[in-house]
Amino acid sequence: MGSSEERVVAVIMVGGPTKGTRFRPLSLNIPKPLFPLAGQPMVHHPISACKRIPNLAQIYLVGFYDEREFALYVSSISNELKVPVRYLKEDKPHGSAGGLYNFRDLIMEDSPSHIFLLNCDVCCSFPLPEMLEAHRRYGGMGTILVIKVSAETANEFGELVADPVTNELLHYTEKPETFVSDRINCGVYIFTPDIFTAIQEVSTQRKDRANLRRVSSFEALQSATRSLSTDFVRLDQDILSPLAGKKQLYTYETLDFWEQIKTPGMSLKCSGLYLAQFRFTSPHLLAHGDGTKSAAITGDVYVHPSAKVHPSAKIGPNVSISANARIGAGVRLISCIILDDVEIKENAVVIHAIVGWKSSVGRWSRASGDYNAKLGVTILGEAVTVEDEVVVTSSIVLPNKTLNVSVQDEIIL
Amino acid sequence: MKALILVGGFGTRLRPLTLSAPKPLVEFANKPMILHQIEALKAIGVTEVVLAINYQPELMLNFLKEFEKKLEIKITCSQETEPLGTAGPLALARDKLIDGSGKPFFVLNSDVISEYPLKEMIEFHKSHGGEASIMVTKVDEPSKYGVVVTEETTGKVEKFVEKPKIFVGNKINAGIYLLNPSVLDRIELRPTSIEKEVFPKIAAEKKLYAMLLPGFWMDIGQPKDYITGLRLYLDSLRKKSSPKLAKGFHILGNVLIDETAVIGDGCLIGPDVAIGPGCVIEPGVRLSCCTLMRGVRIKKHACISSSIIGWHSTVGRWARVENMTILGEDVHVGDEVYSNGGVVLPHKEIKSSILKPEIVM
Repeated sequence: MGSSEERVVAVIMVGGPTKGTRFRPLSLNIPKPLFPLAGQPMVHHPISACKRIPNLAQIYLVGFYDEREFALYVSSISNELKVPVRYLKEDKPHGSAGGLYNFRDLIMEDSPSHIFLLNCDVCCSFPLPEMLEAHRRYGGMGTILVIKVSAETANEFGELVADPVTNELLHYTEKPETFVSDRINCGVYIFTPDIFTAIQEVSTQRKDRANLRRVSSFEALQSATRSLSTDFVRLDQDILSPLAGKKQLYTYETLDFWEQIKTPGMSLKCSGLYLAQFRFTSPHLLAHGDGTKSAAITGDVYVHPSAKVHPSAKIGPNVSISANARIGAGVRLISCIILDDVEIKENAVVIHAIVGWKSSVGRWSRASGDYNAKLGVTILGEAVTVEDEVVVTSSIVLPNKTLNVSVQDEIIL
Repeated sequence: MKALILVGGFGTRLRPLTLSAPKPLVEFANKPMILHQIEALKAIGVTEVVLAINYQPELMLNFLKEFEKKLEIKITCSQETEPLGTAGPLALARDKLIDGSGKPFFVLNSDVISEYPLKEMIEFHKSHGGEASIMVTKVDEPSKYGVVVTEETTGKVEKFVEKPKIFVGNKINAGIYLLNPSVLDRIELRPTSIEKEVFPKIAAEKKLYAMLLPGFWMDIGQPKDYITGLRLYLDSLRKKSSPKLAKGFHILGNVLIDETAVIGDGCLIGPDVAIGPGCVIEPGVRLSCCTLMRGVRIKKHACISSSIIGWHSTVGRWARVENMTILGEDVHVGDEVYSNGGVVLPHKEIKSSILKPEIVM
């Protein structure tokens, strides 16, 4: 074990256009996995974490978006990381285990000893080498990354119970109604190739049951599993739950940050978490300035090299500014994501907001949100124009709208 | 000639400003409200002004001493010990108003701002030979007020209709009167209303005439009307080509800036702004439809519209203050804070945004 000939592959589940509707209106323009957090596409963060895995042979992105949407990104990231990255398109959603199984032949091409499986829409420090080491120690089929959360929020996730000494997964239940445990599934796994056998067994059992059902009118009424096709296999309910307590699955607990990126508001928060992580992983990506020759920077800020920021602006904390954005004189940006080709005009203020591609915010205008408001942070979709002196508060504006009056707590269609 | 200004009480409608100064001393267009009236009276030869007041007369008289000298006009107070309505104060001040000359005297409501065409009013009074003249002004929604119904050609008042449900006319009492001393004989010293009890009787005797007020008129007793009133007042300065209006490429529309105020680079100011003495407007600030009282500081890149900023208050960098925000004296709005219609009592610090109109105690 642990020899240098061992090869590891990583599979990142990116989902598809019919998923992630809660990410609208930002996902109307771009696949959610390519939405930038801390100036880098969301999927870039797990990919660059994979780079730390010893003997990494290949990274696969599995999803049901059109190949063209990922082509450009996949080729540029392959060059940048010097690791082959491939996008594999599912013909339809197969569930996370089903999706993995669907491409088993390709994944096994490099005869890997271990397969990482990561969900794209989680934000964490991805301690992958540490997980691999723990997994080897445990000697099981799979190891799940887990984190302790507050008892009140645990039921939004997969709750699990692990043996405090051996770390074996003893019990797993997805989004329970009552409290089971404050340890939850982070959506980051490492498996040995035996996982394919486990998935195949679920699939076969389901086929058998489907055959049985033809003669059993009682089971035909059980709608819960009726709609599931035989090749749709969920990792959580279909694999983790049944295999818990069978000395096959183990857990690795992270004490770092972890969040799920379901909504635009969460993406803003996660952008901040990744920016903070840059202090340790990529300090060269963080901007600096004291307001003399370049803009005053406070806290963690990313500014794309092609963006222009006026020296009299004040930026941060938690701000990322994408390519070709223009930030005018006297502008104040706090906790926001400014996307490509945006113009923020003189003396405007943007706080807790995401400003979409090619949008503009007028002079002395204010776009601000509040995590606790009904609609949360303010989102301006693509090519939205906020005219001079207009105030947009905790509102969501769909693409190509012009605002010439102030709005608050509104969705502008 | 003499004049009586009905000052009245606490000015509660103009709080929180009137928590720091009696209403007549609150500045309007960089001048205490009551000075607009006193100066207009002085200009047409009034020699003595009586203030009918029931709150803090000492404060008022102390303040007005310097103007007594400057304007060479005698200012006295007639203090009500109980509220006497709109007519009672006239009876109380009777001895001060009657000087044996038999000349008519003016009565002005202190909440009202207009061009004070008092000279024309004297001519009008002489021409009709009646006992009393009142100024009327046309309004869009007469049902909110007391409507004065007049004979179209002569201006003779036929009747008063209080808050009419159906349209009877659009002229309302503008709160500016010119009265013969004999009117005082009709008023008893008790709480009584000039509109409801005195004028209808004079009208019944066909001795009451109404003159249509030329120019603008506004009751500025509450913040919203104060801000509208400033617009109308500055418009009228513009029509008169007043040299008081500011000029410059950073000025939009009508703006008054006290000569001791300092304006930074890259500001855009106007329309309808009054900036008081000693104010500091830092670079990159936007001001529209607002009044800044004495000693206010607006920090860099802040944006203020449709608001009143009380004496010695500060507004932080990148702050946004709008929608009838009224800051009392010595209020401090933090950097990047948004006030949407916040009404803030004096000596407060505002550290977090006020997203909906509300009162901050």
